[in-house]
Amino acid sequence: MFELFNDYTFRTVLMGTVGVGTVSGALGCFAYLRKQSLIGDVVAHSSLLGIMLFFLASYLITGQGSKSLFVLIPGAIVAGTTALILTRAIVGRTKLKNDAGLGVMLAIFFGTGIFLLRVVERTDPPIPGRRGLEDYLFGMAAAMTQDDLWMIGALGLASILVMLLFWKEFKVFTFDPQFSQSIGFPAKTLDTLLMIILVVGIVIGIQSVGVVLMIALLITPASAARQWTHRLSRMVILSAMLGGLCGATGSIVSALYSGIPTGPVIVLAATLIFLVSLVFAPRRGVLARWLKRKHETKQAKLERRAV
Amino acid sequence: MSFVMWSLVIAVLTALTCSLCGVFLVVKRESLVSEALSHAVLPGIVVAFLIFEDRSSPWLIISAGLMGLLMVWLVQLIKQTRLVEGEAALGIVFSALFSVGIILASLKLGQTHFHAECIIDGNLASAALKSARWGDTDLGPKAFYVMLATFMLAISFIAAFYKELKLTMFDDTLAKGLGLRPELMHFAWLGIVSITTVAAFEIAGSILVVALMIAPPAAAFLLTRRISAMLITSCLIGVVCSIAGFYVGYFLEVAPTGPIASITGFAFLLAVAFSPRQGLLAKHRNRGKLRKELFQQLLLARLTEPKASNAQNSVFTVEQVFPNVAWTRQQFQQALANCRQQRWIEGDEEKVSVTETGRIALQQMLANN
Repeated sequence: MFELFNDYTFRTVLMGTVGVGTVSGALGCFAYLRKQSLIGDVVAHSSLLGIMLFFLASYLITGQGSKSLFVLIPGAIVAGTTALILTRAIVGRTKLKNDAGLGVMLAIFFGTGIFLLRVVERTDPPIPGRRGLEDYLFGMAAAMTQDDLWMIGALGLASILVMLLFWKEFKVFTFDPQFSQSIGFPAKTLDTLLMIILVVGIVIGIQSVGVVLMIALLITPASAARQWTHRLSRMVILSAMLGGLCGATGSIVSALYSGIPTGPVIVLAATLIFLVSLVFAPRRGVLARWLKRKHETKQAKLERRAV
Repeated sequence: MSFVMWSLVIAVLTALTCSLCGVFLVVKRESLVSEALSHAVLPGIVVAFLIFEDRSSPWLIISAGLMGLLMVWLVQLIKQTRLVEGEAALGIVFSALFSVGIILASLKLGQTHFHAECIIDGNLASAALKSARWGDTDLGPKAFYVMLATFMLAISFIAAFYKELKLTMFDDTLAKGLGLRPELMHFAWLGIVSITTVAAFEIAGSILVVALMIAPPAAAFLLTRRISAMLITSCLIGVVCSIAGFYVGYFLEVAPTGPIASITGFAFLLAVAFSPRQGLLAKHRNRGKLRKELFQQLLLARLTEPKASNAQNSVFTVEQVFPNVAWTRQQFQQALANCRQQRWIEGDEEKVSVTETGRIALQQMLANN
């Protein structure tokens, strides 16, 4: 176990997954509270198109396809943001609701992304550097390099800083959009800003857990944290810590048992924490409510007997 | 029938079934259930594969379908506690199930890409190649019969419970009041969706299933106002897109799933732009018409206002009216020309007055408002 921490690759992966878990745990609270949990799924899937396009662009410019996160993450951010902006445009202008708008965007972006991925995989002569692109589907934390870590760290820190900087605005906007508008906050700007930091929080995790599981990293810790507190600040801190903890669990388990992928372990750890929270949370948890109801029934019986 | 024809028939049948199922998902505002299902069924497929070691075994479909039902049940269970906001429960459950599936696959099958090959992409060509046999006679591809059975199941469920389904989707409080059990109906319906999703996987792959379950129904939603019309339109769009996509794939020599998915997405965007009542174009045109009418109305009101004029017989000079309206000269000229065309005003370039028809038209317009 201690030898593990001296291992250079392992340390990189551990820091990466903990960082990703912390950032998406914190930002996920806003997605959760704004009832936009599923945008995590759509952004993550859509980003595949951006990743493929920027990979191809790097190949066309340099003759060598680049899998550095410095190239791919900007692509993912562009694609994810575009998908959300198009969804907002469609939902705003037609009678379709969010679910259908998001669904269609997911189908178009992810479908085209997969199509490009398959084309790139089969071109002849092969595009240099194309191996390992498929790992973005299900995540490959072990492929993380020191450079990737810098990219993840810088972007994660930036989005957390933006969150803290506009904390008050985001808070009011999340809980009461009408009120926030009435006291003069620019709703559309705040919406876009929050959307962009969410997209950043989502895409930096794709390398670790993959496009399919990214949604869990975003909302499962937030849903768990929500059970324990009624204050946004505490919820965000708790959710960030839970996210980081799950990230660490994933790296450690998959390093100890070879053959077990990191992403799914992170998600299962988060799910376990979520279930425990659901049952054991004080006052509102399932167990607490059951005990309360039992107590009340007993009281009622006693009172009836007394009468 | 030739191999190509069989492939086409299977593709069309798959599109038909998915577009049919998707209608109620879009109406109920839970389109993303299909996306969640497409991932959540993985452990079911892996377990059945480990037991039967046969990728085309019907047990794969059954076990995956059961896993889909498990997901639906778990989501309803979590939602019932009312402890989790909105759609978070769906995301939590499907990602957890998918993780279980991936871990199982990588432990027992030694590869995480089991999923990528057999679920995301699908393989129409190989599905059309596997024949069902009765004794020595070749009855055509197995996939055809699987899809046909799924289609019959879905359409007979809709036919049998049409009224109940409709009520459940639009107003489950009313449904409850009438003594139906909406949650049971909903559960049964998602069971059908789950079976369809799984059955279509082998052929279309998860991404195409999601595309076919959301895009044609969403397009049909914009084109129609009745659920029966929406069902038919959705199926038509699905069929047309699958045929078009199939031939695009055929001539470009790539797998047809990609082109079909893109074309359904494109069809949806067309509906957003050109839907006769709700499309962006129709709305734009409508706004233009309203604006034109408003300008005409304002001009007529201006010309009939008694106090505003010191002109006799309500004859105004154009230069008299124009400074009193805050329009550009172009807008003003346009309104004048429009009113003149309708014979609501008369006069030459210099002087104008309202005609009798103009007065009546104005009164009508005001009454309509």
